[in-house]
Amino acid sequence: MTQRTRNWLLLAPAGTWFLVMLIVPLSVVFIFSFGERAPSGGVVPAFTFEQYANLPARWTAFKNTMTLAPVGTLSALVIAYPLAYFLAIKANPKWKTILLVLVIVPFWTSILIRSYAWIFLLGGRGIPALLDFVGIEGVRLINTPFAVLVGIIYGYLPLMVFPIFVSLDKLDKRLLEASSDLGAKPWRTFVQITLPLSIPGIATGCMLVFILLMGEYLIPALLGGGKVFFVGNALVDLFLQSRNWAYGSAVAVTLVVVMLITVTVYMRLISRLGASREDVSIM
Amino acid sequence: MENGGYVGGTNPAGKKVIAELRGVSKRFGDVLAASELNLSIGEGEFLSFLGPSGCGKTTALRMLAGFEAPSEGDVLLDGEVVNTLDAHHRPVNMVFQQYALFPHMTVAQNIGYGLRQRRPRLPRAQIAEKVGKALDVVQLGGFESRRIWEMSGGQQQRVALARAIINEPKLLLLDEPMAALDRKLRKEMQIELQDLQRQLGITFVLVTHDQEEALSMSDRICIMRDGRIVQIGSPQQLYDRPNSRYVADFVGTSNFFDGKISDRSGELATVALDNGMSVQGKPGADLSVGQEVCISVRPEQMKLHHRHAGVDVEVHNRIFLGEHTEYLVSHETLGDFLVLSPRQSELAEGPFNVGDKATVTWEPSAALILDRN
Repeated sequence: MTQRTRNWLLLAPAGTWFLVMLIVPLSVVFIFSFGERAPSGGVVPAFTFEQYANLPARWTAFKNTMTLAPVGTLSALVIAYPLAYFLAIKANPKWKTILLVLVIVPFWTSILIRSYAWIFLLGGRGIPALLDFVGIEGVRLINTPFAVLVGIIYGYLPLMVFPIFVSLDKLDKRLLEASSDLGAKPWRTFVQITLPLSIPGIATGCMLVFILLMGEYLIPALLGGGKVFFVGNALVDLFLQSRNWAYGSAVAVTLVVVMLITVTVYMRLISRLGASREDVSIM
Repeated sequence: MENGGYVGGTNPAGKKVIAELRGVSKRFGDVLAASELNLSIGEGEFLSFLGPSGCGKTTALRMLAGFEAPSEGDVLLDGEVVNTLDAHHRPVNMVFQQYALFPHMTVAQNIGYGLRQRRPRLPRAQIAEKVGKALDVVQLGGFESRRIWEMSGGQQQRVALARAIINEPKLLLLDEPMAALDRKLRKEMQIELQDLQRQLGITFVLVTHDQEEALSMSDRICIMRDGRIVQIGSPQQLYDRPNSRYVADFVGTSNFFDGKISDRSGELATVALDNGMSVQGKPGADLSVGQEVCISVRPEQMKLHHRHAGVDVEVHNRIFLGEHTEYLVSHETLGDFLVLSPRQSELAEGPFNVGDKATVTWEPSAALILDRN
């Protein structure tokens, strides 16, 4: 067996998977998006841009996704970074593993059940009732963008914590000592050494969370109560309820395109940040 | 030593004391990493902490740097107690074992790092100028915009050195700085470090487990063992007048014979060796009759003869080293020991071959009577 055939053989399982599970369905969706809706649901083959022309009708779903995904990602980052920092640098090594496990434990429960818990917490008998008790009346949390944001942050926090934790954990602690030794106060050591060296972790975490949020469906469905819905919810509606596959395909293709563009821009930005760190003033 | 105190060697007269350890101990949980350290370091001195790994030398250095606070005792810098003063407030800089250079910065940014932390801020042009000068000092002129990973190990070490000396610290701490370099480079760096120290007049404190390194560079060496200072002195003092078997063994090579002191009178004492022989020697420390001791004789202090009264031995091995010949000889009850014979005496006495019977002699004053530890 030559090296070449061996390489192909090793690549075959993953390649087949990608072909069957990704390329083929995507192509089908792409073709469907130019079709017409059949009277009984499904698609009549055609070549029309009618479905794309109708996109503005689903503008709210795109708007919600494109605001809550970045806001959710950044909020998760702001909350996850101090946590990851504590776990990697400050926590007693004896407790590190246990604390890390505690971060993962929620993952062992279905997101569905965890979101139901939030329905109760944010619902009329939860936090609003508590606020009512202390005299703040008329607060409504459930079925608002805030509720969706809370659910998103809660659900995706571990995905943000882990990459940042890894980059901070493998950071050579002597660099921090060296910085201090050279006269940098703790805050300046953080800004000049810790933060720049954890950028790879931040980038990975943001990317993971952002991409998954763009396709999020469950959390807006449960905590947004049909009032705050994402593109994902629109797709479920179009494919399963109104059975308008052609239009649904056009929405799906648009989402994929938007995602590709955002991710490409983001990658460019990150790699430039990495490459030009020497030019960026670190004074 | 029992008192763990100030053992042998004094701070060279006339030098201002720049740093001091007074009864300093450091505990990590139940482990006593440093115990009762007493030491004063003179301005412009090159002092080394020498000892095997785990002897507490790095802990001592880290307490001077401000990375660890002493559990007991005081650390003084320039006459002031700085026990809990953070590292970033101390006029002390360190060259780390693996250099700890900042990987996301250029060579120039690494070296200028200390200057950039100063408040009020220094003008950029001034920082750039000083960085340029520091690079010249370590012979890396023109490497400003290189990345750290583009530099070789030796070059990285120079960058680490430049990054420390640019701040003109009162004390430059070096934590096994040569450990990662190959032998040849290490030799070169040793000479360069010494030159640099003379040129800058900065006080150097080196931590090493390499006796050769300590002997060749230091003004004074502080020998450590199990968290304690065993002896402090100039390299020559430690070599000629070690205060214990441990020091004699650590600094240079020596032959040891165990015995008990049988008689003491004047300069010399008599030791009854365990094999029944009686030998005269010079007491290296306060020792009393009946005490269990050992006799230490350096190989170069021993003479090998063909026909002469002395200790009867048989030559087991012979290594010709040019100016010297090293013989491994064997005695019936004393066991194997080394004799270093200079070229001239070889010419006079004639060579000894493996299997030859010979006799060994030494001056009583060259036989040091030492504590067995």
